[in-house]
Amino acid sequence: MAVIGIESSAHTFGVGIAEGGRVLANEKEMYRIGTKGMIPDEVADFHIGNAGGVIRRALEKAGLGSGDISGIGYTRGPGMGPCLQVGQLAARFLAVRLGIRIVPVNHAVGHIEAARSFGGLDDPVALYVSGGNSQVLKLAERPFRHYRVLGETFDIGVGNMLDTFARKTGLNPAWGSTVDMAGRGGRYIELPYSVKGMDFSFTGLLTKALALSRERGMRDLCFSLEETAFAMLCETAERALLLTNSNELCVCGGVAQNARLRGMLRSMAEEHGVRFGFAPDEFNADNGGMIALVAERMLDAGRSVPVGRCDIEQRYRIEKAHVV
Amino acid sequence: MLVGEGAEARIYSVRVFGKRLLVKVREPKEYRVRELDRAIRKSRTRREARIMSSLNKNGVPVPRIFAAGAFSIYMERVDGKLLKDMRRRGGAMRRAGEILAKMHGLGIVHGDFTPANIIANGSDVRVIDFGLSDYSSGDEEKAVDLLLMKRAVPARSYRAFRDSYLAHSKDGKRILGRLAGIELRGRYQTRTLE
Repeated sequence: MAVIGIESSAHTFGVGIAEGGRVLANEKEMYRIGTKGMIPDEVADFHIGNAGGVIRRALEKAGLGSGDISGIGYTRGPGMGPCLQVGQLAARFLAVRLGIRIVPVNHAVGHIEAARSFGGLDDPVALYVSGGNSQVLKLAERPFRHYRVLGETFDIGVGNMLDTFARKTGLNPAWGSTVDMAGRGGRYIELPYSVKGMDFSFTGLLTKALALSRERGMRDLCFSLEETAFAMLCETAERALLLTNSNELCVCGGVAQNARLRGMLRSMAEEHGVRFGFAPDEFNADNGGMIALVAERMLDAGRSVPVGRCDIEQRYRIEKAHVV
Repeated sequence: MLVGEGAEARIYSVRVFGKRLLVKVREPKEYRVRELDRAIRKSRTRREARIMSSLNKNGVPVPRIFAAGAFSIYMERVDGKLLKDMRRRGGAMRRAGEILAKMHGLGIVHGDFTPANIIANGSDVRVIDFGLSDYSSGDEEKAVDLLLMKRAVPARSYRAFRDSYLAHSKDGKRILGRLAGIELRGRYQTRTLE
């Protein structure tokens, strides 16, 4: 029997279907950011308009009917309230309608699970990098099994930093991959590099890069912004690997789609004889497949929740989530 | 002979004029662009050497420095046990609090003040690895030094450390207030569960 996963924490409304740890379908619709960024209520409207269609598409893709579904999971958080609400409502509706079990899932755990599953890793140090989050994590057993935050950003996520730079300098679409393209072949300009132990911060880097955007060429600036930010992430991941004596590393989250970041991490991992893995791009960008993977495991472990107790939590910290 | 490897440097044991010394070398990281790599290694080496010698001069117990190059620092070898490997460490924790208070009084923050960077040999407690240290007169950075220790040790050890810090620091109360503020900033609320 298959499990549906619904993701709606930010710009993507995603529906995945998993069975036996394999993803049978991973459909999504993504809100177009344009040059303004995301306005939560407008994104929520977008999700409402797409929910039914994406769910149907996922079932078709998997070649399943509603009778083949035994459970459903949805993203409880972290994310933007109005957006989370849509996924939660859709999941509750389906749970009642089909009479199946339901389980809330932590979005970040979903990202790590995708990297673990597709990367063939068991217990990696995880670098989770997206718009809203940037953390270095590792599984811990006490007081319950959860991902422990070894290090994280003091201020904004690395994706948010790149997106903001893109938006304020008029790049279109205003997000990280545009910065990445614009920086190809650039030369390095020294920018603030801010690492404290295994924590790091990006606002100083962003402020300096914006201040320089009038006098320096965009290509060099975009290149240097990315190089500096990624070197900071690499250094903290490296420190976490050595501190925890781990032999596996994964990168996940939207920014994990960046080939340069992955190349840097691979080079660092190889130097230490560490296995390095990640998921295909469609599972690094927000998606329902990763939520379905986690939901299936949680339901197998008997972690379903009564429909009436299903809720959302905008600041659902990863270390609060029970991992099975 | 290689005796230690951290995330950003290797430590070799060498004999210079018949004396055993440690040399800390920041070796190139292939993963980052050459200019950034050299800039990071150079500025950190220089800053580390300067801070260590200034701490030495002011009576803060850190390894003595003999020479520094662009990417390497030659320093005294310190014998003892790392605090993180010790079972009973109340005394050493108190001494660590006193040392950190003195360092902060000199306007220096350590940047990675954890039990992995403190060596105790009986009552002789010394702080090592100033790779992430900096000059700072701000409460924020000082509070982060305390936060790193708080996250790294059990509550009882931390209390011994904190009380001693308070007793020896002129601005201790204010800095602990800042620490409480940092912990209240969403991201830290539930960070340590163990």
